[in-house]
Amino acid sequence: MSGEGAARQAEIEARVLGEVSEDLRDVIGEEYAVDMEITMETTFSHDLELESIEFVALADRLRERYGAAVDFVGFLATMDVDQVINMRVGEVVRFIVDSLPTPATAGSA
Amino acid sequence: MAEVLANDVRLHVQRLEPRGGASPDAPVVVMVHGMVMDNMSSFYFALGTCLADAGCDVICYDLRGHGRSERTPAGYRLADSLADLAGLLDALGVDRPVHVVGNSYGATMALAFGLESAERVASLTLIEPPFLIDGLGEEMARSLTQILVAMSDDEVQEWLENGAGRVAGRATRAARRLLQETTIASDMLATPPFSPTALSALSVPVLAVYGENSDIIGQATGLASLVPDCTLIVLAHHTHMVLREATGYLRELLRWWLFDRATPAPPYVRATTRRFETPQWVTQMVPPPDLNAERRGELAEGSRR
Repeated sequence: MSGEGAARQAEIEARVLGEVSEDLRDVIGEEYAVDMEITMETTFSHDLELESIEFVALADRLRERYGAAVDFVGFLATMDVDQVINMRVGEVVRFIVDSLPTPATAGSA
Repeated sequence: MAEVLANDVRLHVQRLEPRGGASPDAPVVVMVHGMVMDNMSSFYFALGTCLADAGCDVICYDLRGHGRSERTPAGYRLADSLADLAGLLDALGVDRPVHVVGNSYGATMALAFGLESAERVASLTLIEPPFLIDGLGEEMARSLTQILVAMSDDEVQEWLENGAGRVAGRATRAARRLLQETTIASDMLATPPFSPTALSALSVPVLAVYGENSDIIGQATGLASLVPDCTLIVLAHHTHMVLREATGYLRELLRWWLFDRATPAPPYVRATTRRFETPQWVTQMVPPPDLNAERRGELAEGSRR
C-alpha cells in the first residue's frame, strides 16, 4: 500500500473507532463510560466489563449503522460467546474497515 | 428492530435475517432462553448468528422481565409466557410454522407452546427441559424462592457493594429485582400439569438434548417415552449447561435437524481434554466467593433454571 493509501486507511480506522466508541457509550450508558478512553486495545470483557446482552445491543446498533456492507452475523457466527466478549475493540473496528467498500484511491500500490 | 409490543409487553427482539436476505423458504427459528439468570444473549451467540449464517430466519427475544424486555410486576405464569410468544409471532407477522428452540425452562415453555399451538410449530428443540408431569410449578417456585433468599443475604449485599464486578453485580441485581418486585416465583404455581394424553398425541417432531451429568437427566426418558416423534440425544460428560459447554456440537446438531434430518444425526465426539464443572459465569454472577460451599451448590443449581 502506498504512503497515501496507508494514511487513508488510518483515517478510516480512526473514524470507525469513533463510531464504534459512540455506539458502545450509548449501550453502556454515559455514567459508567464517560471517563473511559476507548482505544483499539480496549477489551470488552476486562476493560469495559460489557455484559453479553450489551454486546447484542452493540451489534444491533452497528448492524443498523453499517447496513448490509458489514456482515456482523457472519463475523460472530464463527465465535462462541467467550470469544466474542474477549475480543478487543480493535478487532471489531478492523473487521468493519475491511468490510467497507474500498475507496478508489486505496490499493493502487 | 429491537423492541416489539407483544401481548401488551415491550419485548426486546433481535431478528437475524438468513444469509442472502429474507426468503419464504428459510426456516424460521425462535429461541426461548432460560429463567431468571439468563437472557437472549446465550442463544444469540451460541446458535443465533450461526443458524442465520446457515440460512435460517432467526428470532431471539428476551422473556418478559429478563434482559432488555419490560419487567412487568405480574404476568409470569406459563400461560402468560405462551401468550407473549404467540403475540410476538403475530406482531412480527410470522405466518409460517416455526422451529422453536428452548433452553432449560425456555425448553419447557417451548414444549407447552407445541402442545397448545401445534399448528404454529414446525419442530421443537428442547435443550435440558425440566420435565415433570406433576409438580413442575411447585419445583420451579421452590427453586426461585431459594435463589431469592440466598441473594437477599447480608453477605451478598456487601459483595454487591464492594467485591462484585460490573457484570456480576448487574446480573445479580437484575435477578434480585425480578424475584423481589414481580410475581414470577408465585406465578410458577399456576403451571398446569402436562397431560400424558396430549403429549402422546403431539404431532410435532421433537429433538431433546440432555447432558449425561445433568441433575435432571432422570427426566429425559419420561419425556422421550411419552412424545411419539422424539429424538433424544444425551451428551456424555456434560451438565445442565450443555448449551454453553457443547456449543460447537449443538450448532452442528441444529444444522442437521433443520436442513438434513433424513440423514443420521451427527456423531458426538466426547471432549477428552476438558472437564465440565460449574461454569465460571454461574460462580461469578451469583454467589460471592466467600459464601459457604453448601449454599453455593444450591445457588448454582437454582440459577440454571
